[in-house]
Amino acid sequence: MPPPPHHHRSQSAVTRFIRPEEIDALLEPWVPDAEDRRFLTRCLVEEGPLHHRGANFVLLRLLGELSRAVASGPERPAPGPGLPVPMRLPPHLRPDGEDDAVYPIRLPERAVERLAPRGSRDFDAIVDCLADGPPQHAVANVLMATILDDLLRRSGR
Amino acid sequence: MSFFAPGLEDAFRTAAAELGMCSASRLFVREAASDGPDAVAELSDRLGRPFPVLDAVAAAALEGAPLRGVDPGEVLATLAGLRRLLVAGFEADFLDALVRALSGEVRVGLVRTAFLEGDWERIADNYAGRLELVEMAAFAGWAGPRSGLLTFLYGVEGAVTHVAPAWLRVAGDDVRPIFRELVGWDVLGRPMSLYPRWLTEVPAGSFTRLA
Repeated sequence: MPPPPHHHRSQSAVTRFIRPEEIDALLEPWVPDAEDRRFLTRCLVEEGPLHHRGANFVLLRLLGELSRAVASGPERPAPGPGLPVPMRLPPHLRPDGEDDAVYPIRLPERAVERLAPRGSRDFDAIVDCLADGPPQHAVANVLMATILDDLLRRSGR
Repeated sequence: MSFFAPGLEDAFRTAAAELGMCSASRLFVREAASDGPDAVAELSDRLGRPFPVLDAVAAAALEGAPLRGVDPGEVLATLAGLRRLLVAGFEADFLDALVRALSGEVRVGLVRTAFLEGDWERIADNYAGRLELVEMAAFAGWAGPRSGLLTFLYGVEGAVTHVAPAWLRVAGDDVRPIFRELVGWDVLGRPMSLYPRWLTEVPAGSFTRLA
């Protein structure tokens, strides 16, 4: 008999379908450093609430499938200028340098510019929404925006 | 007849506060061993239950395992590429060896929290400016994609290990994704056989690197 609609599956049922190495492979075109990828992969599918780990894996893998289906060759994406994805720190603990407390992935400005002109209030608000929050949100948002922007670019948009 | 003067437990507690539980145990076992295995056995018998790390170090000595110098090579490999290393928990023998081996370009911090309060300034002074003391309220300022958190493990047994409670105060769910590495360095090399008072059990799999 199937479980009721809101029955929660066990923890092992969720972690079993998550394959971190597939997320690592998905990141590779945009994050060349293997240790950076390992860190981001952990943030995406191995930390935080279980349902986020599972959902991130599913959505990113599906985007990866789509990306492979659309790709015409081994062309390496050129994401263009990117914006930093800051870690969530208490406000009084400001980082020493530009890359001190940011995740090793950047939000492509071009993805945001598809929806709002650079420098506009909307542009800034979109960036804030995508890059804010713990990494199971922020890094996932940025990676999805990166892949979607790449797909649109390769579709001639 | 006893090998030891009165006040042995107080002396050990003081040493453990300044050196760390395992490093103090190594010191006391080494000194006792110079009087022979009976002295080590008495040390273990008198202090083993209140200090189970000492019990484990003494047990290894009584089994004939020599107390070796600390080789930081394995843990050093886990820290490759990091620019900042923040340590929670203190073990003088091990941190001494690690700080000596680390590149001078790596900042090293020690979170000021411990189960026995030592003299923090004196502890830091032993590192000639290489070790920065970091308050609990400020440790997240060390976060980053080239930052690591390290603590000392007291034996790994299957899926679990034991750490200083300071680790639980530092490595919460909100902190885990802002440090690239969460490193556990097993300084004991064997599980404790007595109740691990002073320490806390955590999953060994909660670390990104084990050494």
